[in-house]
Amino acid sequence: MEDWIWTTLVRALAFGTPILLAGLGEIYAERSGVVNLGVEGMMAVGALAAFAAAQSSGSPYLGLAAAVLVGALIALPFAVASITLRANQYVAGLALTMLGLGLSGLLGKPYEGAPLAHPLPESGFVVAALVLAVVLWFFLRHTFTGLVLRSAGENPETVDAMGINVYAVRYGAVVFGGAMAGLAGAFLSLAYRPSWADGITSGLGWIAVALAIFAAWHPLKAVGAALLFGALYHLSYRLQAVVSPEFLKAMPYLFVVLVLSLSALRRGPSGAPEALGTPYVRGERR
Amino acid sequence: MRKGFWVTLVVLLGALGFAQGDKLKACWIYVGPVGDYGWSHAHDQGRIAAEKALPWLETQYVESVPEAQAEAYIDRLVKQGCEVIFATSFGYMDSVLAAARKHPDVIFAHATGFKRAPNVATYMADFYQLYYLNGLMAGALTKTGKVGYVGAFPIPELKRHISAFALGVRTVNPDAEVLVRWIYEWYNPAAAKEATEALIAEGADVFAFTEDTPTVIQVAAKKGLPSFSHYSPMKRFAPDQVVSGQLVHWEKIYIDFLAKVYAGVYTNKNLQDVDYWWLLPQGAVELGGAYGEPVNPKFAGALKAKKLNHPVFGEISVYDLVMKELALMSDVELAADPFQGPIKDRQGKLRVPAGLRLTKHELETMEWAAPGVKGPWPNEPK
Repeated sequence: MEDWIWTTLVRALAFGTPILLAGLGEIYAERSGVVNLGVEGMMAVGALAAFAAAQSSGSPYLGLAAAVLVGALIALPFAVASITLRANQYVAGLALTMLGLGLSGLLGKPYEGAPLAHPLPESGFVVAALVLAVVLWFFLRHTFTGLVLRSAGENPETVDAMGINVYAVRYGAVVFGGAMAGLAGAFLSLAYRPSWADGITSGLGWIAVALAIFAAWHPLKAVGAALLFGALYHLSYRLQAVVSPEFLKAMPYLFVVLVLSLSALRRGPSGAPEALGTPYVRGERR
Repeated sequence: MRKGFWVTLVVLLGALGFAQGDKLKACWIYVGPVGDYGWSHAHDQGRIAAEKALPWLETQYVESVPEAQAEAYIDRLVKQGCEVIFATSFGYMDSVLAAARKHPDVIFAHATGFKRAPNVATYMADFYQLYYLNGLMAGALTKTGKVGYVGAFPIPELKRHISAFALGVRTVNPDAEVLVRWIYEWYNPAAAKEATEALIAEGADVFAFTEDTPTVIQVAAKKGLPSFSHYSPMKRFAPDQVVSGQLVHWEKIYIDFLAKVYAGVYTNKNLQDVDYWWLLPQGAVELGGAYGEPVNPKFAGALKAKKLNHPVFGEISVYDLVMKELALMSDVELAADPFQGPIKDRQGKLRVPAGLRLTKHELETMEWAAPGVKGPWPNEPK
């Protein structure tokens, strides 16, 4: 029994790490008012950048840096489209996912079929993700910048009235989200399965989007959510003889639907940022 | 003026087509990305080798084609001038037959399927012999008596391979179990990884798999556990842990089939009974985790040290047994076969009577599980 709990916890932490990292980034973007459905694409590009840089330089840490940088960069065109040009955030996000998956698949061809020479340990990422969750929670809850970021997602007019540029805040949050998705990708190609393959993300980016909602856009709750999703994923193989794996794999999404339905039933604020998904137009009344 | 332009264009295109009339255009549809380093990668290697070997051959491919959308992709390939289309996944079967009725002039060949038509042939380079040989080695190497197996889907092809593997394991180690986990996807590195981790947690210490990535090998190697490569030469992913595996040479089938199409032996009217079922004797498959190396030399010592009392060969080491069986199974007459009766299934029901072997049809539609297989087994006959 103890052995069961221990192995499940270890696997939950490992599988939960990429979705936690990317989910934290998505929470920041969404708290600033921007839904970015491009997580899967940004993660894929990050994974490739990490692998390519680590393999050619021999240093996995350079790979880490490359993933963060490239993740942030690929989020930029999305930010321009959805924030400055006020394109539909959902459509622009889907486009980013397709762009990221396609681009990484194409550029990644020469790196396929070879293992990474110097991989990183999974545990390092696990600890980093947990520490980041706490730091990001503290920053969001207890600093002025965090307050501004949250306000940009709740009531951007107020932020504007304070003389702070709403666009700049949202750009920052979206680009940070991209960097975090890139980091999640680096975990996949440097530690989790130290090699590159087209489609390495296999839907983890979508679980990260679901995680942001499930965690009610709260960085600390995201840790619990990531652990829960990770444990369910692991158990879908442990319990395969007893429970249908399809059912267990669908659980994260079922949970999201359940939580959304329950919070809709509850009176008062749903937990979602008020201005989520709404492009900000200066001087226009909502 | 405008009309003149179009007429010129059509004439030019026609002339171009005529000039290339000697070429045969063959196209491939892959279920996964070419870079998966598994199933689709192996087919693409076969395509490249065929193109190199046959100067009159022109090829094209589409990758990652969802099984439900195969027909639309086939329509597009036909429009692009493909004369021979290879569909390389079991799930394409009904789409291929529908497309074949729609395009009676095009020649189709469907890998792993069992439905044919005048213009649809089927082909398969099957591994069940190799899985048995891998099983012998796995049975010798397991210390916990638990061998892990990660499978993509519970379809007859995998059930046949897992059962052949389990028969091999039990030949050497009569009490060993083969723990099976399904990931319900051909290509999903995260799923393969977590399935392997789950098997490790259950105590498995030797691994084999049928899915399209080297993930199982990488995960097992991290714990220092031996594994068997699948489809492509995956030894490079863990040179110290990959014992052996299954390698395919699809080009043997592709070159034979295309040469016969080119020579007019195969046409769009006479493929009803054309069914390639190529094994070791035809060179379509090879034992090993790297080309030209049936067993990783690092494991030769351990396999030579493990002795057993074999009903046919008497006292023999596992290494010698593997080599003997390999030679017999490579014989054109198939002097030995993994499914040589008497064989009971895991529920104790006699499946292969003494002195008999399974027919090709029985192999292709196999749903029962060999003794020692542990895990969910959808459609298991009672």
